[in-house]
Amino acid sequence: MSLKLSHQDFDEILGKLRQEYTIYAPRRFKDRGRFSDTDLIRYGEISSIKDMVWNEKSNFSPKEIIFPITQTIFHFTEDDYREPTIDSKKTIIFLRACDINGIRRLDTIFLKNGNDKDFYYQRLREKVKFVLVECQSSFDNCFCVSMNSNTTDNYSIAVRFNSDSLLLDIQDKDLDKYFGGVGEKVNFTPEFVTENKIKVNVPKVAEMPVEMYDHEIWDEYKSRCIACGRCNTTCITCSCFSTEDIFYDTTTNVGERRRTWAACHIDHFTDMAGGHGFRKDNGSRMRFKSFHKVYDYKKRFGEHMCVGCGRCDDNCPEYISFSNCINKISKLVNS
Amino acid sequence: MCNNPLKPSPHKLISIDKLTQDEWTFRIEIAEPPNFGQFYEVSLPLIGEMPISTSGIGDGWIEMTIRNVGKVSSEIHRLQPGKNIFLRGPYGNGFSIADFKDKHVVIAAGGCGVSPVRPLIEYFYNNPGYVTDIDLLFGFKEPGVVLFENDIGRWQERINTIVTVDQVCGTWDGKCVGLITEYVKDIEMPEYKNMVVVIVGPPIMMKFTAMEFMKQGVPKEQILVSMERRMSCGIGKCGHCKVDSRYVCLDGPVFRYDEAEKLID
Amino acid sequence: MSLDLNRKKVVKNAWRITKERDKGAIRIRVPGGQMETKHFAVLNQIATEYGDGTVHMTTRQGFELPGIDFENMEAVNRMLRPIIENLEISIGVSGFDKPKDGYPTAGTRNVAACIGNRVCPYSNFDTTAFARRIEKEIYPNNFHVKIALTGCPNDCIKARMHDFGIIGMAEPQLDSSRCIGCEACVITCKKLVTGALKLHKGKVVRDERRCIGCGECVLSCPTAAWTRNPKKFFNLVIMGRTGKKNPRLAENFIQWASEELVVQVIKNTYGYIDKFIDRSLTKEHIGYIVDRTGFHDFKEFVLKGASINPEARIAQHVHWSGTFYVSDVFIGAPQGDQISR
Repeated sequence: MSLKLSHQDFDEILGKLRQEYTIYAPRRFKDRGRFSDTDLIRYGEISSIKDMVWNEKSNFSPKEIIFPITQTIFHFTEDDYREPTIDSKKTIIFLRACDINGIRRLDTIFLKNGNDKDFYYQRLREKVKFVLVECQSSFDNCFCVSMNSNTTDNYSIAVRFNSDSLLLDIQDKDLDKYFGGVGEKVNFTPEFVTENKIKVNVPKVAEMPVEMYDHEIWDEYKSRCIACGRCNTTCITCSCFSTEDIFYDTTTNVGERRRTWAACHIDHFTDMAGGHGFRKDNGSRMRFKSFHKVYDYKKRFGEHMCVGCGRCDDNCPEYISFSNCINKISKLVNS
Repeated sequence: MCNNPLKPSPHKLISIDKLTQDEWTFRIEIAEPPNFGQFYEVSLPLIGEMPISTSGIGDGWIEMTIRNVGKVSSEIHRLQPGKNIFLRGPYGNGFSIADFKDKHVVIAAGGCGVSPVRPLIEYFYNNPGYVTDIDLLFGFKEPGVVLFENDIGRWQERINTIVTVDQVCGTWDGKCVGLITEYVKDIEMPEYKNMVVVIVGPPIMMKFTAMEFMKQGVPKEQILVSMERRMSCGIGKCGHCKVDSRYVCLDGPVFRYDEAEKLID
Repeated sequence: MSLDLNRKKVVKNAWRITKERDKGAIRIRVPGGQMETKHFAVLNQIATEYGDGTVHMTTRQGFELPGIDFENMEAVNRMLRPIIENLEISIGVSGFDKPKDGYPTAGTRNVAACIGNRVCPYSNFDTTAFARRIEKEIYPNNFHVKIALTGCPNDCIKARMHDFGIIGMAEPQLDSSRCIGCEACVITCKKLVTGALKLHKGKVVRDERRCIGCGECVLSCPTAAWTRNPKKFFNLVIMGRTGKKNPRLAENFIQWASEELVVQVIKNTYGYIDKFIDRSLTKEHIGYIVDRTGFHDFKEFVLKGASINPEARIAQHVHWSGTFYVSDVFIGAPQGDQISR
């Protein structure tokens, strides 16, 4: 079913949906950007289309909705430990094609890698319906077309934002009931970006040549990368975490086991008890991440991990371009 | 809803064997025995969780040799027998015992690396004839940190065993001094194609010991190593132990050396 | 006919009496230190038609055009009109009457500012905009007061060498659920700032008394767990100075002050000066008046009627040090010499 709706009509539908769903979309957090008097755009709950930023790329990806930055996995009490309960409301996420494809990568890690499914991820993920936000043009640093993640048909609703109206392609029968009797029936299917300004060539090798591991292309990143981890934290596909136990109060045995995002660029990622660790220099971290995103993930799972959202390049304070790094790798290995 | 693989279960601590000042072996009740070379995620509520390999497998129990080096291990060292310790697992591939049948087995272990191969050695010790021949090669930093001295003494009665220390300080009644790599050539290897070599220890030790065996003529396909990496989940989610396309927790910790040498951190 | 000049009027008009007889130099104010480059054309025209073809960039972010015959003062003042209109009148500064009159006073100096958050990533506020607001509130005025604004405690404008230094402060606010315990902020704060942050139970905690509001934690945070309170705060530092007698750095007067409070304190200061200035001197610089009355009288006067924001932390006492040239006390006086201060 395809409909044309006014913003006001859509807001009314959002109001109804909110009784059953928590609705997340990119929001503007005014003056909360990295620099003073700049805004932060990240995912948050919305109640109106006015809350949503649909014509800019968000600084952070929607992964934090289903893979929270900090997540309690057990509450410990005197003689018991139990998983926290979660909100019974279902979830709707407004997101772009690259992020929908990115979440498939998260699904792979959390639900398909090894024999066990991740309980915490699964219970949040199962509740999610996607609303695809059509990209009317490519943003800065995007290279989704090169990564084949510019398109998707994995959505409940696709939406095109116009300044005075919305075009909707409603695919999910569960949601039909919310759209009865409103709007105007139209023909609409979402269009996808077919070209980005940034193009990358991915390395086309089954096995990475061993000389690539200590190749001199990594040397410059030893000093350029500051190991801040923004490329990891803003990435839709980075899924690493660490686990830690916390005492709330040392006089009572009450506390939690929680997991928190971890990042392969940040210090101590590989440190073991006793102190031994790997990849001490930032150049080898850049190599490790790059190969994961465009080489070894594919070797294991059949598709590249990177979806080309470009947030790593948007957010790197040192102007390290991952897309350019991919091209540098490919130039060396494809020739 | 699926069951929660991150949820540990309590297991009773049966006894503690203090091997050295810092390295103690904890015997823990367990119903189902793990495979050789597998590991568990061991935790204490409110303290934390860490991966630990099994250093002994028996009827209704496992043993874990834990070095007191961090928050979790130091708290485990404070436990009294009878208390509960929390486990998830067993995880990892471990050693497949059938791979050793009728082979000439050499096990080279450095320092804490003796722990994960101890159950394997015990198996060969208790089942003479399962393998055609067996040699043990152990390296420790110095005499004071030699692990499983009693076991080694016992094994020596039936098995050709070399124990070396990197340097002598204090008393050392063993014969060998020097790195483990220096003693590889002392092992008689009459027929390379029937050999399986197991090497466990710090990354550098494994690399150079494997090279030494290869120099002696052992094909890398017949060398097994057990890798140790930081892990948070043990089930292929947290990403800490990923090397190349492999997850040490899922695909390892035991790798054939022809693969392990390509796993560059 | 020889030149008959009222020196005091000339000086008040932002002209300088120079070494060269009959030639003066005009000083152009640029409040907040930023202007459109089109004004360079005017400066160029004045310098080439009336001056010696050079310009001196003043330490206070103005321009000084030397070598101008005093008889051309009015003509030059008229030529300055577009600059004055753009940089002063259009932002609401009053007191500019006829184009030929140029600048009405020169006592309160150009309000200087670092480049601020229009450009600099470290700055916690728009220094130019605030400088222009202050200009509007206090200019024209004959009293000798120097004010500078700087975006962060790096203090690139050297606000601590001014009577009023306004240092931008950001109140970092933590969304603890976004903190991944990476310690980027902890390490940065420890290495570059005051060590106000530490990790506790896996999350960062901030010692409010050590935090100087520089914003480094926000800059270093990879998850936007730290963000700035959108409300802007300032550290108002006072009575720094260069000069022949006791040069010294300004000391903290009000930390976490609101913009309103800063403006009110500065405005009230003019009343204080008016009441306490030593009129026997040709001019008396504000810092020396505070030395005479003491900090407490100053504090009481400038805070009277001011709306103090709840976050503001006002100094109980201020102690300035600096260099005293009657320093014989330290190095030993010549025999028989009487030491006096």
